[in-house]
Amino acid sequence: MSKFADIQIDPAIVKRAAQGDSRAHEIIYRAFATPVYSICLRFTKVPAHAEDLVQETFIEVMRSIARFRGEAALGSWIRRIAVSKALMFLRSAWTKRGQSLADDWHDVTEGAVQAHGVSGRPDDAMDLDAALANLPDVARAVVWLHDVEGFTHKEIAGLMGKTESFSKSQLSRAYMRLRPMLEDARQETQPEGAVVRSY
Amino acid sequence: MGHDETGNRQEDDEMICALTANEQSLLQQKLRELPETMPPREVWNRIREQAEAEGIFKRATASRRRMWFVGSGLAATVLLAVLNLTLMQTQPESVVVPQNLPTNTAALTTLQTLMVQSRELERDLRSLPTEPRVMRASTVATISDLEDRIAAIDYQLNDPDVKMTPGDRELFWRERVRLMNSLLQLRYAQAQRAAF
Repeated sequence: MSKFADIQIDPAIVKRAAQGDSRAHEIIYRAFATPVYSICLRFTKVPAHAEDLVQETFIEVMRSIARFRGEAALGSWIRRIAVSKALMFLRSAWTKRGQSLADDWHDVTEGAVQAHGVSGRPDDAMDLDAALANLPDVARAVVWLHDVEGFTHKEIAGLMGKTESFSKSQLSRAYMRLRPMLEDARQETQPEGAVVRSY
Repeated sequence: MGHDETGNRQEDDEMICALTANEQSLLQQKLRELPETMPPREVWNRIREQAEAEGIFKRATASRRRMWFVGSGLAATVLLAVLNLTLMQTQPESVVVPQNLPTNTAALTTLQTLMVQSRELERDLRSLPTEPRVMRASTVATISDLEDRIAAIDYQLNDPDVKMTPGDRELFWRERVRLMNSLLQLRYAQAQRAAF
């Protein structure tokens, strides 16, 4: 589970926020701003877009917190709002480009990936952040939701308005792209003379 | 997540053939260790302005004011007693935690108890060895985040232009104690790791 789950807020503060108390809202914002911004930045890659999404997320939190019944953790609830806003943004970006969700792998050519310092050769030093950033938007979102936020493919499919197979296929393709990075990590941790398994 | 969801995830994982279970686990670990990023400070100002423009806060203020007026005489007495606390009236601008609080906790109000707890947590924090020079990026980010949140609360508590009700003040102190606790636990774990 992501860092959202680690953040605890006093129920009294949530209650005050539900009454519209600006100071209680500020406490909630200060607590969750970093994970919300991080997830938005991870999805959009553009700080200005991520800032807009943070604003939209917390305004939505303020408008809706009176309806928050505390059945789930506050962090999970805020995370779902942030994810929903970020996916909505990506969907509108795809729509503007006249693309569907499925075909944005065409955006990322091998050349573009290498130009950003990420190659397919396992012996190259690669940065996971850069590799992730170079995935197509939708694949990056699926990887993040599945592997970091702990969403199931069924949940991801529901959020994206797609099928579970679509989500699994995106994750599988993304893994193929990210796999060379794991070779590097394993080589770094192998003792000298150890046999490194090849794939 | 429930049992059904755990089951779904197992099925999900079996369907992903591009990585072995170990590789997937390693990738997930590396992804979770990626540092988080704080939004610029002006983002809160933008949110607050929009909330004020939409009347989200204004409605709440009116509602809270009504709550104050319908409060019982006893509540009013308690409120006056709290308002008359000298420590609140004479709180120095540059020091958040008052140093002259009584130590007999039985005689303390909730607010005073929180202040004492905060002071003790600061003392415990100071007693820990200095931070190691080499730290995990995620730890640095978490410590920095906690310190920023504490600083933001201190700013509110110390700013003479910020008018707070006793309830607000208690809320802020409670949050400060909670954050200080988290910071202390993190720094303590860090100190233990450095010792081995």
